Amino acid sequence: MAKSKQPLPLAGLKVIEVAQGVAGPHCGRILAAFGADVVKIEPPSGDWSRSIGPFLGDNENVESSATYQYNNSGKRSVLLDLSVPEGISTLTDLVSEADILIEDWDIPSRALNGIEKYRFTKLDSSLIEISITPFGLSGPYSYFSSTPIIQLALGGYLYLTGLPGKEPLMLPGHQPDYLAGLNGNGAVQIALWERDQTGAGQFVEVAMMETLATLHQFTMEMETYEGFVRNRNGNLWQRESAFANYGITTIECIDGHICFGVSTEDQWERLCIMIGKDEFLKDPQYATRSGRRSVAPYLDSLLKEWVGERTRDEVMREASETWGLPTAPVLAISEVLEDPQFLHRGLFTEIDHPISGKASFPTFPFKTNQMIPDVSRAPLLGEHTSEVIGF
Amino acid sequence: MSAKNGSTQGSLAGLRVLDLTRVWAGPLATRIYGDYGADVIKISDPRVPLISPNGLNSKLNRNKKNIGLRLDKSDGREIFLELTAISDVIIENFRPRVMRNLNITYETLTKINPHIIMCSMPGFGLEGPYSEYPAFGTTAEALAGIPGLIGYDSSLPISTGIAYGDPVSGLNAVGILLTALRHRNITGTGQFIDIALAASPACNLGEFFAANSSNGYTPTINGNKSEHYSPHGAYPTRGEDQWIALSITNEKTWKTLAEIINNPILSSEDYHIFENRKKDEILIDAHISDWFASKEAEEVMFRLQTRGIAAGVVSSNRQLLSDPHLNQREFFADMDEPLFGVKRYDGQSIRGNFINKSGWKTTEEVGGSSKEILMKLLGYTNDDCETLGKQGTILFQ
Repeated sequence: MAKSKQPLPLAGLKVIEVAQGVAGPHCGRILAAFGADVVKIEPPSGDWSRSIGPFLGDNENVESSATYQYNNSGKRSVLLDLSVPEGISTLTDLVSEADILIEDWDIPSRALNGIEKYRFTKLDSSLIEISITPFGLSGPYSYFSSTPIIQLALGGYLYLTGLPGKEPLMLPGHQPDYLAGLNGNGAVQIALWERDQTGAGQFVEVAMMETLATLHQFTMEMETYEGFVRNRNGNLWQRESAFANYGITTIECIDGHICFGVSTEDQWERLCIMIGKDEFLKDPQYATRSGRRSVAPYLDSLLKEWVGERTRDEVMREASETWGLPTAPVLAISEVLEDPQFLHRGLFTEIDHPISGKASFPTFPFKTNQMIPDVSRAPLLGEHTSEVIGF
Repeated sequence: MSAKNGSTQGSLAGLRVLDLTRVWAGPLATRIYGDYGADVIKISDPRVPLISPNGLNSKLNRNKKNIGLRLDKSDGREIFLELTAISDVIIENFRPRVMRNLNITYETLTKINPHIIMCSMPGFGLEGPYSEYPAFGTTAEALAGIPGLIGYDSSLPISTGIAYGDPVSGLNAVGILLTALRHRNITGTGQFIDIALAASPACNLGEFFAANSSNGYTPTINGNKSEHYSPHGAYPTRGEDQWIALSITNEKTWKTLAEIINNPILSSEDYHIFENRKKDEILIDAHISDWFASKEAEEVMFRLQTRGIAAGVVSSNRQLLSDPHLNQREFFADMDEPLFGVKRYDGQSIRGNFINKSGWKTTEEVGGSSKEILMKLLGYTNDDCETLGKQGTILFQ
């Protein structure tokens, strides 16, 4: 089907982003890609993510941060010092002409800059303001300091990953920020739906901790319905849960690891036949899921034998095509970039940057037949200060 | 000031969503729509009950209407097409062949309703070499590179334990469908959206891919250790499997921590410098672990946070449900389930104009709204309903 020649659906919307790091900026990145004019306000030293690794190219400087460039694609950068009254006054002018304000002022920074909660939405009832902070603007943690591992800990994610009894492990990079950024984009789109119909804006709070707490699979129901603390269990899932089957496991191949996601009864039956153990289907030991899980290490060894001296790709092909079992290779970063499925989808795009050079960035996990998101380079520090505020 | 806790009507009033999704990723997306007042019609197979003693489907299907409908029967499919004609969005997360076999593809549906937005959420996407392969949350995240970055060392990658592709895809769906609706409202054109569960987590690792493609950057797999901060990790505290996470991000907070712990080794001026702490990380961790071992996690968290140090209890499901912060913010929803009594669920993390919690409805059993949907929305008579019920096309509760 032909791609639309129509402008992108957020074209004409003005967004002011006063947010640093990953969460707020990731939200702004999505809005920019779908046509909004996103003006990013940076302090004179730049968004702090400009100063953290990993860096692109050969130099570590404010124009080479991978995290900054990924999350600020397609925006305009304006330097503004909000610690002085003139800064706040210029910001107020900018916001008065905007449709959407994305900000990450937590309670301490609001107090520091003298920005009360509804300052901007009171001035303009059609403004959509999205507040993205680690813990929200009320409650006993609202003054807390945090980094991703702290957010993962309090959001209940950290406890669930790792080997039983050993240190719980964090998800890589800035996952709570990314999730809150995605939630923030959802908030913008929901608020736009209402505003497009009624003209009314709204103030929407998104907290990372609460975002994580709503993204918990069925972790909390294990306590509220079945009464157990869900433990981390390495690559074997949920040892206490009645519905956890054997076959969610990770096995070593000659070129790395492969992940199996056998979850249904018919998949379990095909797994038995695949590894040449048809007799398990009549054996009472394997009649129940808990019976299977209780001998998981033995079953792992049988699966490992079946895998034998093969590559991840060979194993995935046979398990998927012949046996209909969910499998996938555990890929390293460099391998994800070259995975044939992702290449086919065009998941990554190369962007050239005047200082750090070319690099491949993910586009979006969705493909649509009408909208082509505009993914372009991130701005240099203060690149658009003069065109936006005239100095 | 307390956080906002909803409105009466909800921002998405007037939006109608046909929800064919199951399990996690899809229902998570449509739950957000339901909380915000969209008319979400969940279509379930009459032969498979939704409500179960493990609460699996009760969490994500609140604030939705349910119709029990056999899509594989021709009169059932007809009813689905009639619903398509009066809906804005259709969302499904079957394997690709299921929808093809039912002949419910975008090409068919767009003839019934050219304005329809349809979203499929397959494991690997609808096209490409893996498109027909089955997928599961753990396998999707593996392809995206997530477990490849988790481990105590590089010898054994570890899965997240939460099927990470699902929640990330669900959140992506929430945003992009509404963006597509805005596109429709401007242009009058519907569209098809394909979200790959395996692609979503990769888009939360953008900096890793960019750096690797630029200069070969490859992160070291080393537990919770950080390239920027030290000490950094989780430390056992008093009690069984109780932990606290700690993240020292600068010289100031390190000095404060050393002062609180008051241990001569940690108080060394050498350790004011990050590189020196990083070099002696194992030794420093041992001393910090000793100090934490006798402390109660929540108490020590508040003690450190009061002094500006990033620390947090490593909460289990049980601890999360009684977390003081979430409770004070009235985050949870305690809902009275007809079969199980009051159960506590996670609330709405997007705190805008969602429907007041007092107006939230528990998950309907399959067919809970079949009659209302057929009669009020589609103009069927009572007799029609009886016939469809007898034929097994529709289930009525």
